[in-house]
Amino acid sequence: MDALNFFAMSWLSPELLGLTALGTFLGIYVGAIPGLSVTMAVSILISFTFSWDVNNALCLMVGVYMGGVYGGSRTAILLNIPGAPSAIATALDGYPLAKKGLAGEAIGLSTVMSVVGGFVGIIVLALAAPTISEFAITFQPRDYMMLGILGIMLVGSLSGNSLAKGIFAGAFGLLIGTVGLDPMTAEERFTFGIIELWDGINPVAVMIGLFGISEALHQLHHMDKAIIKQKIARIIPKGSDVKKYLPLSLQTSFIGVIVGALPGTGGDIAALMAYDHAKRVTKDPEVPFGDGAKEGLIAPESANNAAVGGAYIPMLTLGIPGDAVTAVFIGALFIHGLNPGPLLMVEQPHMFWFTVGNLTLANIFVLIFGLTGIRLFSKIVECPKGVLIPLIFLLSIVGAYAINNALTDIWWMLAFGGLGYFMRLYGFPVGPVILGVILSSLTDENWRRAILTERNSMADLFLNLFSSPLSTLLFVTIVLILFTQTPIWTTWLKPKWTKK
Amino acid sequence: MLSQLSAQKTRKPGERLFCLLLVLGSVYLFWQAYSIAGFSELSSAGAFPMAASAVMILASSIIFVNTLKLPAAEGVRFIYHCFPPVVAIIMALILVYAVILENLGFILSSFLFLFIAIQFLYRRSVLTTLSITLLALIVVYIIFRLVFQVVLPEGIVPERDIIASIKALWR
Repeated sequence: MDALNFFAMSWLSPELLGLTALGTFLGIYVGAIPGLSVTMAVSILISFTFSWDVNNALCLMVGVYMGGVYGGSRTAILLNIPGAPSAIATALDGYPLAKKGLAGEAIGLSTVMSVVGGFVGIIVLALAAPTISEFAITFQPRDYMMLGILGIMLVGSLSGNSLAKGIFAGAFGLLIGTVGLDPMTAEERFTFGIIELWDGINPVAVMIGLFGISEALHQLHHMDKAIIKQKIARIIPKGSDVKKYLPLSLQTSFIGVIVGALPGTGGDIAALMAYDHAKRVTKDPEVPFGDGAKEGLIAPESANNAAVGGAYIPMLTLGIPGDAVTAVFIGALFIHGLNPGPLLMVEQPHMFWFTVGNLTLANIFVLIFGLTGIRLFSKIVECPKGVLIPLIFLLSIVGAYAINNALTDIWWMLAFGGLGYFMRLYGFPVGPVILGVILSSLTDENWRRAILTERNSMADLFLNLFSSPLSTLLFVTIVLILFTQTPIWTTWLKPKWTKK
Repeated sequence: MLSQLSAQKTRKPGERLFCLLLVLGSVYLFWQAYSIAGFSELSSAGAFPMAASAVMILASSIIFVNTLKLPAAEGVRFIYHCFPPVVAIIMALILVYAVILENLGFILSSFLFLFIAIQFLYRRSVLTTLSITLLALIVVYIIFRLVFQVVLPEGIVPERDIIASIKALWR
């Protein structure tokens, strides 16, 4: 009964209801406008909302997240520019549909199927999280340490073209997270005698720099891209279409929720896998894939929204973010004094049910806003980059200042913005940096706990790994990921393997 | 994004230098991490930073060597494709904005920044830029300063007094 009360909290309070609606609305536009990303928006929002009541701030951010994942599909369909990485697969069949004059139908169908996916994700989250949480209480410090490393490695290997670059970015993030006074011994780490560095580098400044400033600087390269307008007619999808494609939507939703729940994989990978699944199971599509097959639109859209619920599972039960957006989200939870992890369900079960209720509400708002306001949408999306980009810079700078009312955070943000620009330019993923910053203290503390219980003996730590099936599994996975990047695998074994 | 997934085959101008700087930076950070507690204990405050910076050295060295092996991209120039003047100018503008923000205050400095940046990037008549700037500034101010109650630097504009006198008028 308590759970139901907390579930319904954001539904019954007009303030929370309004903030969720506002967040979802903003999210749809943020996700849809190329150049604005959900990660960027949530990073900037954290700085403005950290003094708010935690529930209010969460409602706004959950709305932005849910709406943003959906919003990316609109520009993918209308302009062939995925508004978010999770909408890459949507453009493959969505844009051909729009070119045939079926943009409205495509948007309507993708909205309904996104919402179906969203609900599947939320249901799985509500059912699985309590069990996983109970299991996670039995985790050893070494397991947490390895989970942290695994998360960073997976994000590193999947988000760029080279594992070495991903690992470098992750390790760099871990190092940034250690700046300041050591929480266990109060020794100074990388403070260079500067008192302002005792508290460390604010993760929000790093996030805004890497996702706000550097992304916007990159947008300056493509100022002259012309936008092709599409005509939009009927937007409410046909009932027969919804009924026909529902089984595929449910199947791909489950793919989405599983992929989303794995550390390191988010909506973009889920959507691509779902697209691939749809291609394999659809024997005779009415229109070939790539030419405007509705199956190719429904599969990624269901999967990427289902991945949102999935991504919440490791975030709330283990305190491990799955990708950059959830890493930013975890940062927000920490700032609001919540401690995501197995104890969250024991100590603050209300937060869990509140989040589930809020996600459900945001999903309903996606349906409402997704099927309305198309005219306003076309106007906003056409906002010229020459106006949009200066505004992003303005919000980033004001956001960084708002964290502590200090110029120091602005300098950090600008430094990371500049560094992030060159990292992106030369193919370094920036997501693992954020993941590293967020996971730094968790990994560091658990490493030290693990090694202290083994009396500083590396050999004992290594041998005792194999006494637990979970530790063994995590260790083997990490070794396998590293192995697949060595020349033994890439130049010798892999070609033989693929030949077979 | 799709192009990011495909493997990189050529080297961009400046990439070698950037990767070399990463190697050197990682070595410096390792030395700094070492100076925290040396090799005293595996559970010391410096052990984890040392491990992280060692991984950075290893990874950046691999990246650097791989970059050296790649052929240079043809027809790609640093000043045009990697760091075009528009990026440099906007970066300088942001830097100036950050410097004047506290002294001039949010309203004045943001007005100047938005006006110059929009005029430079959007290239429309001064009147159009002026109206866009004012509209954007008013919206941002209302949302963040008045609704979200974010504290913004006041500078030389006596904002609080103005808001207080407006509130007094309402009463």
